[in-house]
Amino acid sequence: MILANAFCLLFFLDETLRSLASPSSLQGPELHGWRPPVDCVRANELCAAESNCSSRYRTLRQCLAGRDRNTMLANKECQAALEVLQESPLYDCRCKRGMKKELQCLQIYWSIHLGLTEGEEFYEASPYEPVTSRLSDIFRLASIFSGTGADPSVSAKSNHCLDAAKACNLNDNCKKLRSSYISICNREISSTERCNRRKCHKALRQFFDRVPSEYTYRMLFCSCQDQACAERRRQTILPSCSYEDKEKPNCLELRTLCRTDHLCRSRLADFHTNCRASYRTLTTCPADNYQACLGSYAGMIGFDMTPNYVDSSPTSIVVSPWCSCRGSGNMEEECEKFLRDFTENPCLRNAIQAFGNGTDVNVSPKSPSFQATQPPRVEKTPSLPDDLSDSTSLGTSVITTCTSVQEQGLKTNNSKELSMCFTELTTNIIPGSKKVIKPNSGLNRARPTAAFTVLPVLMLRLAL
Amino acid sequence: RRRARARSGSQPCGLRELEVRVSELGLGYASDETVLFRYCAGACEASERVYDLGLRRLRQRRRVRREQVRAQPCCRPTAYEDEVSFMDVHSRYHTVHELSASECACV
Repeated sequence: MILANAFCLLFFLDETLRSLASPSSLQGPELHGWRPPVDCVRANELCAAESNCSSRYRTLRQCLAGRDRNTMLANKECQAALEVLQESPLYDCRCKRGMKKELQCLQIYWSIHLGLTEGEEFYEASPYEPVTSRLSDIFRLASIFSGTGADPSVSAKSNHCLDAAKACNLNDNCKKLRSSYISICNREISSTERCNRRKCHKALRQFFDRVPSEYTYRMLFCSCQDQACAERRRQTILPSCSYEDKEKPNCLELRTLCRTDHLCRSRLADFHTNCRASYRTLTTCPADNYQACLGSYAGMIGFDMTPNYVDSSPTSIVVSPWCSCRGSGNMEEECEKFLRDFTENPCLRNAIQAFGNGTDVNVSPKSPSFQATQPPRVEKTPSLPDDLSDSTSLGTSVITTCTSVQEQGLKTNNSKELSMCFTELTTNIIPGSKKVIKPNSGLNRARPTAAFTVLPVLMLRLAL
Repeated sequence: RRRARARSGSQPCGLRELEVRVSELGLGYASDETVLFRYCAGACEASERVYDLGLRRLRQRRRVRREQVRAQPCCRPTAYEDEVSFMDVHSRYHTVHELSASECACV
């Protein structure tokens, strides 16, 4: 009886800790009056429920599906549909990187926004939600990795890109997805075909979408003092397959190609939104947000616009997509301007260097409401396949024990607590079990809930 | 349980892990990368069968002589990790299959 009460108490303590550890998505925005934009899949559902909205949306899609978009849009009916839809939730809906049905979301976004733009624009607005959290803990981590403040002779010798590879290899999820893209991108098909580029790009996208950025950024943006390190950094995405091609296309042609694909177009627009150099901020990055710029740079890897380091120079960082401005004709200026956003972009360069050195700028948050929303790392967690393997690799299994406690003949005055089923974690630390007990699973520090659930069980064990 | 603890060093068969440099593995790859090597180790006494006793007895009586036999279960991987990739010192990538164990059993 006492034991059961103690268990209940611990259970509630656990729940409280858990709710403290993961801020509910409802808390922040309501408090500060900032509403996160509705995602376009949801907005589409809302529109479908309304007859006026759904019929106008159908009309607009037919308008845009026509061969000649501009003449179709000149049509009165199409114009009317567009005007009505500007008032609907579809108009300012956004998508999230790596969300479920991302492509569907982007298709909905562009179906409205293509009608709003007058032909080709140089910079397009990003269909993605702004990166609200600055996630400066990643930069703090980076500073630990790069060993700033340590003995300079030691840090000069060490190869940060090699350390990053090690950290990835020691994490099951990172190792699996890294090995997967390497083996696909490295597989020669024939003497004329170096690899299956399409599959390589897909595997790279999976790596950058599903592995936490503390691993992927560290490999992609590690700082280097010698050429061997810089060459390793350049080779991260296996450029001979994913980047280089027989011919270098013109950058504006490549942009046109990219814009025919909803995903590529969106990632490029996101890059332009987050990495466009601005001379009004200290760091030359929009809102001094290095994190957002690095994220949207990495978001282009695995598409036609895949960027990479152009050479293995350790200190001068130049990145570019695989294109040049030769053959631009009278568009030379525009082409150079487009290319310079990669090759001579102070925001991007500063962001890469700051990550490598582990130095983030200390700017006070301009909008506290943004800080209140969940950091993307937390949002991404459920979609990560490693969560499952991580919880099992601890040698734990979850057993629902609501029935067994009732069987132990507890009195009914506790029935309120008892009606709630709770889960117990049984830890396989008993000798004779064949399961492995991992003392530490790499860098997985962002899992407080597991620790909170194990705690009461361990305390119960002690009580026994 | 107490007996098992008393006998020092004889842990039951299970996965162990070790951080090793690829070049240490002696497979001919010159790479500085570190990989996690998981292997199977431990005692298998608990999973002896009548088969093992019988075979041992027959061997003692020289009824089984010529062949190599094993009258004792052995702690071995029953599943392997699919692949691990790494870069060597010449900036070339390699992928090795089934380098590391993922499950162990006394078989």
